[in-house]
Amino acid sequence: MLQQYSGLGIYLIAAIIFPFIIVFVALILGPKRPNPEKLTTYECGLDTQGPTWVQFKINYFLYALVFVVFDVETVFLYPWAVKFQALGLFAFIEMIIFIAILVIGLWYAWKEGALEWM
Amino acid sequence: MNLSLLTLEIVVATLALFIFILGLVAPANQKRGIGYFTVLSLVVSLIIAIILHGESGTAFGTMYVVDPFSSYFKIAFLIAAVLVTMFSISYVNKLGYNQGEFFALTVLALLGMMIMSSAADFITFYLGLEMMTIPFIILTAFRYGDKASSEAGMKYMLLSAMSSAVLLYGLSILYGAAGSTLYSDVINVITGDNIDALTVIGLVFLLAGFGFKISMVPFHMWSPDIYQGAPTPVTAFLAIGSKAAALAAMIRMFMIALPETREVWMTLVIVLCAMTIVLGNFVAIPQTNIKRMLAYSSIAHAGYLLMGLVAFTNLGISAILYYVMIYVFANAGAFACVNEFGNMTGSDEIKDYTGMWKRSPLIASVMLLCLLSLGGIPPLAGFVGKFYLFTAIIDQGYIWLAFLGIGMSMVSVYYYLIVVKVMFLGKPVEETSVPVSLGAKTVMFVSAVASLFLGLYPAPLTDIATKVAQLFFPM
Repeated sequence: MLQQYSGLGIYLIAAIIFPFIIVFVALILGPKRPNPEKLTTYECGLDTQGPTWVQFKINYFLYALVFVVFDVETVFLYPWAVKFQALGLFAFIEMIIFIAILVIGLWYAWKEGALEWM
Repeated sequence: MNLSLLTLEIVVATLALFIFILGLVAPANQKRGIGYFTVLSLVVSLIIAIILHGESGTAFGTMYVVDPFSSYFKIAFLIAAVLVTMFSISYVNKLGYNQGEFFALTVLALLGMMIMSSAADFITFYLGLEMMTIPFIILTAFRYGDKASSEAGMKYMLLSAMSSAVLLYGLSILYGAAGSTLYSDVINVITGDNIDALTVIGLVFLLAGFGFKISMVPFHMWSPDIYQGAPTPVTAFLAIGSKAAALAAMIRMFMIALPETREVWMTLVIVLCAMTIVLGNFVAIPQTNIKRMLAYSSIAHAGYLLMGLVAFTNLGISAILYYVMIYVFANAGAFACVNEFGNMTGSDEIKDYTGMWKRSPLIASVMLLCLLSLGGIPPLAGFVGKFYLFTAIIDQGYIWLAFLGIGMSMVSVYYYLIVVKVMFLGKPVEETSVPVSLGAKTVMFVSAVASLFLGLYPAPLTDIATKVAQLFFPM
């Protein structure tokens, strides 16, 4: 029983040790030329403009949520479309019900104004 | 596959979607009707459930089981849902927004509970659990202008995410040990003589996850805050439905999938059960807010209910079944009173209940009956329920646990009677009477009558409970 896990154990130990080795090697081999510019916050190489702790618009998350719903829908639609002939009428009706439920969700989001950028 | 087994679930799911649509298309001034429509359709679903209660079979392979046990719990959930929606109508109408969403989410949570009680597979069970929890999170934060409600919603979301993680981890470990997520396979693989460390860790995580949902000490920390912050009808449904559903799923999982590992989890369950009873009852005493007091009392009741699982006999399980049913009525009645009083005064403090007998004899008397039933005073139903539970564990030799339970029941009578004393002996600060809406009146009447009737004549329900429990212990 335990022997079966030994491979996993060795892998785990190696995975823990490896990052330390990299940091250690970089410490020994890397050239050290400190300057103040290197100590500033990295932000795409440009100086930061204004405060960095800003609030995001909640609408962004609503869009993301609606997107995720239909993203997941396609995950189910693809395999069904590929095997459409084999699955037959029952699966077709099931899919219609599934899409109808999601459409109610979209309708709800639309009506409640989730899709409008205020 | 036989779809007719799923009739009840399909009806409830369609109902939830229909209420959503109704909330969208109904003009703003006619949304009051949605609540009445929900109550009516839930009553119809309850009748369907009672008609179909004899059915049994499996759907989706063996992942979903319909049997007397699940039917019993589904009827209990439906009764709870009917009672809760009935007295929430006045609350939601006073709130004045999103009536459609409130009732649709309540019905969705109900659907989640039904799936939990029927699940015979780890993943199906988890699906039901989340289907119940997510609507509850939204409902808890339903008064979004109110800081306490938002805070409660946020707390509930974070803590239930954490407990889900723990539960899933436990389930995945058990899946690793058993090689299957089906209960019917798990029992064949994990037997009494090959329990390894992995299984033990999985069981501990599993118990922790369930402990959160049924608010078992030491995983109870969330419940007082969330019960206090949530809208009162939601608190009632959380205290009744969520707890009963988790208990149903727990009984099925531990009795069907993991009975062989009893030696491992039984010790833990006994210790946690004793701790839950003691802590729940003692911490309830100093509470000044009635919702917090009922929260701690519901923690204590989780402990009493676990006693049936400790007994691990036909009598034990049937005692749980009986107790769940009377717990539904007693709690729904008590919360209906709290809701009506809170609706008028905006206060949930016990000291504000002073002189209630003069202001509203109905609230005072129903509250008295429900609290005494929860405390286990004869001739009310709570007494019979506790009697069965204690008998069941004494039969198995846990006399100390029974004594602990009886002692703590006496403690519980003390804090219930504090409320009663304030209501009946205190002088009213205001003379104005407290109005009670029609829905709440019905709930109060039904729960008071049920608590009395089931206490005086428990035989029909105990017969049913014994028959249902035979599922786990065939004669």
